Amino acid sequence: MCGIAGLHLKDHTYRERLGAMVAGMLRGVARRGPDSAGVAIHDDVPDVPDVPDVPGVPGVPGVPGVPGQAVPGVPAAPGAGLTVFREVGDPEEFAARIGLAGRAGVRALAHTRMATESAVTAAHCHPFVAGEERLCLVHNGSFANHATIRRRLAGLGIITETDNDSEVAAHWLAARRAAGDDLTTALRRLTTTFDGFFTLAVTTADSFAVVRDPIACKPAIIAETDHWVAVVSEYQALLGLPGLADAVVFEPEPEEVYLWAS
Amino acid sequence: MTHRPDLIDPGRLAAEAPPAHHTFGPDVLAGIRERAELGRYPIRGWGARRAVPDFDDLLLLTASASRYPLEGYRERCDTRTVFGARRAARPVVLDIPITIAGMSFGSLSANAKEALGRAASMVGTSTTTGDGGMTPEERSASRTLVYQCLPSRYGFNPTDLRAADAVEIVLGQGAKPGGGGMLLGQKVGARVAGMRTLPEGVDQRSASRHPDWTGPDDLKIKIEEIREVTDWQIPVYVKVGATRVDHDVRLAVAAGADVVVVDGMQGGTGATQDAFIEHTGIPTLAAVRLAGDALADLGLTTDVGLIVSGGIRTGADVAKALALGADAVSLGVAPLVALGCNAPTYRRRPVPPPDSAPTGASDSAYVEVDVSAEYAALGTAPGHCVHCHTGRCPVGVTTQDDTLAARLDPVLGATRVANYLRALAMETTMLARACGKSDVHRLEPEDLVALTVEAAAMARVPLAGTDWIPGR
Amino acid sequence: MGELSGTTAVVDEARDEIVLDLAAMSTREANAALRSLPDGARARLDNPAGRHNLAVGLTRAVHVRIAGPAGYYVGGLGAAAEVDVDGPAGWGVGENLMSGTVRVRGAASQSAAASAHGGLVVVEGDASLRAGISLKGGQLAVAGDVGRSCAFLAQAGTILVGGDAGEALGDSLYEAVIYVAGRIRGLGTDARVEDLTEADVAAAGALAAAAGFDHVDPQNVTRVASVRSLYHFDTAHHGAY
Repeated sequence: MCGIAGLHLKDHTYRERLGAMVAGMLRGVARRGPDSAGVAIHDDVPDVPDVPDVPGVPGVPGVPGVPGQAVPGVPAAPGAGLTVFREVGDPEEFAARIGLAGRAGVRALAHTRMATESAVTAAHCHPFVAGEERLCLVHNGSFANHATIRRRLAGLGIITETDNDSEVAAHWLAARRAAGDDLTTALRRLTTTFDGFFTLAVTTADSFAVVRDPIACKPAIIAETDHWVAVVSEYQALLGLPGLADAVVFEPEPEEVYLWAS
Repeated sequence: MTHRPDLIDPGRLAAEAPPAHHTFGPDVLAGIRERAELGRYPIRGWGARRAVPDFDDLLLLTASASRYPLEGYRERCDTRTVFGARRAARPVVLDIPITIAGMSFGSLSANAKEALGRAASMVGTSTTTGDGGMTPEERSASRTLVYQCLPSRYGFNPTDLRAADAVEIVLGQGAKPGGGGMLLGQKVGARVAGMRTLPEGVDQRSASRHPDWTGPDDLKIKIEEIREVTDWQIPVYVKVGATRVDHDVRLAVAAGADVVVVDGMQGGTGATQDAFIEHTGIPTLAAVRLAGDALADLGLTTDVGLIVSGGIRTGADVAKALALGADAVSLGVAPLVALGCNAPTYRRRPVPPPDSAPTGASDSAYVEVDVSAEYAALGTAPGHCVHCHTGRCPVGVTTQDDTLAARLDPVLGATRVANYLRALAMETTMLARACGKSDVHRLEPEDLVALTVEAAAMARVPLAGTDWIPGR
Repeated sequence: MGELSGTTAVVDEARDEIVLDLAAMSTREANAALRSLPDGARARLDNPAGRHNLAVGLTRAVHVRIAGPAGYYVGGLGAAAEVDVDGPAGWGVGENLMSGTVRVRGAASQSAAASAHGGLVVVEGDASLRAGISLKGGQLAVAGDVGRSCAFLAQAGTILVGGDAGEALGDSLYEAVIYVAGRIRGLGTDARVEDLTEADVAAAGALAAAAGFDHVDPQNVTRVASVRSLYHFDTAHHGAY
């Protein structure tokens, strides 16, 4: 169980401030997940390989989740960059260590984890990244049938790195995308494939999506303005966002897929 | 179709006794017929009736030459148990590490609840409310009363919450982890229905999830609310049915529990589906070690309490549970048996002739009344009765019928339960002293060996006479 | 304000309100200060910033205004008090309320008025899923829409929905009654629409008046109540067990 936050910029007004906005959102969900934290930041400025300035962390491109280490960014697709950091420990200290507030971007996911059934290591931190398109996923909740789906994926040659339930969803979505589903279709299919409680936020190089399970036992709030759309587990995580007073704020309906594309 | 005597010889089959364990044994046939009759799952009371590895499969390595025992009666062996001192202004202080588990007024009669409260107070321990709220009799009879906060929230209110000595947030129970409470209509009388805000006589099926939170991240907020409402005075327990024990203990701690209560699969119930009772959860023996190890791994053995329950019967069980990591045990079925459950008779104090002078007869003077025929009328017999769900308890323990309930004298009953609890405490200290321990909480896994490979694997102690722990 | 020494309480004399600044106070300090107030006192909590467990467990007839968004369980397990939230509220607003009023001048998240035994919870915006779950005699009035599974397992009390109701309305209802002014997307198991009686019009009207809803015409609400077919075990309903 956890706290999630996602932010998608509809235009470039806040590109330079994205990290600061996400840092505030992460702080707002920090108490929900004291075990570990992670962020994924997408940017649309081409060819900016973003090596994290975390002391003592070697860059291992394309290897998410080396235990105890942050994951440096890798180019996700032509014209887009993705930087992922995941670490065990206090979320606010994590944000300070990676200099989150100073980072620019157009779309981001953040997560604070209260581990349910799998270990507390950097490899078990969200966001999970999967597939050719480097789809990113954060999850608040727990899946009840992920083991079976993990085995099915393994039969297709898709091997998850950890025993984390949320990682299965990331790889399953990536597999559906590879099979030709658009993101909305894949997420809709996920709601009838996965049992358990989930609010999921998903990003790709050009999209931002939110979906909840049919019973919707985990919290989710979406806020949207002309410039950005955000999803959080708790309202307090929205409070620092510019223009919140004029935002449309609502709770996503169970089983509905909400998607914004740039 | 022609008869094939080479395949079926009815005479031979009739002559042979069926094997003891048989896929379609007599119990199974009866179960199939019962389902065919009812069109639904069978429901009953009590706990698991199947054999599972339990504390009888462990033995204590008491002292001799390498270690020395303490003298019984002369050298001190502490039993005092404290819960919640880290956060609560008023920690729970128990004289013995043996408590009484949550059982509802509704499932039990008011007299039974009062007797349990009196008994617990007599021996300096706690008793616990149940699904349906707190009765004034129970509150006044109990020196230390743990108030349950259940998914149904029947009878849950802030006044009683503040009157409690601890609050126990119930996520599940060993007899039916993942399921909700159940009370059939025959027990939902006027008082029970009123306390639970239900129509009289409904087959009450409680919720299995709390109405205003799901998951440990939200439970953390809920626990803070309860601490605020009780002004951080009383400890907060979290009770789980024993399934994924390692995860659940860690999450209860992450959510802020002062005490984790782990109820093994042998835990009892007033009424639930037979399939739940016999086929869900893990044995208490396995659960206690998992829970104790989880707390040890978190480094919280002294800060967070561990209570285990489910099939605890004797002081030997208590000593073994403590050795495996529990700080205390909780008892449900056993004190009911002490009250008279499954006895062929009930006991009442003699009614003196109207014109006689008071005799000052002690509580131990009583008259026995045989009720075997009433067990037979329920289709059962003393010693085998699991008919708590019917509300027709011949000895007045699990009933809401006034006539039946009156058969349980709360004063007499309390004396018997208190005697039983004292005997358990004495057995526990006797065994702890024999292991050289001046405090029952100093019993440790290394004081145990196992008689069977199964118990050795579950408790993670060596098979007796070897240094082999399966899986190590 | 001797009772409030050690806190940052000040008095807004124009409004006759004690002002507690949550930016400088813990939740525990704020709640302790509120509990120490006598009947009739007025208090304002500034800078709530979506914080959880504000004004919970109150026992006296005080008026508490929360000047901004509140988190989980605002006003929960309370009695006698009047709690106003100037903004949205999180999960379980007014949960297990015994008496008094909790009013949200915005949207309420899930499980509004869960298990409330008495009193009135007013949501001036929309309420999310499972509003009125396990209601035990309290009243819930939502000016806007309610989400899925409103009144799930509700045992007693009254719910008034000024807007539309989501799917599975009244699922597994006991004796609670729901009035819906707008449309109903779907009824839950064992719930049905029943004819509106004079008594219903009076009840819905009284609740609308207490909530201050002038957009609800009590003559034009839909009454939803229990079929009572799940009160006893019945093979025909095995799918519902």
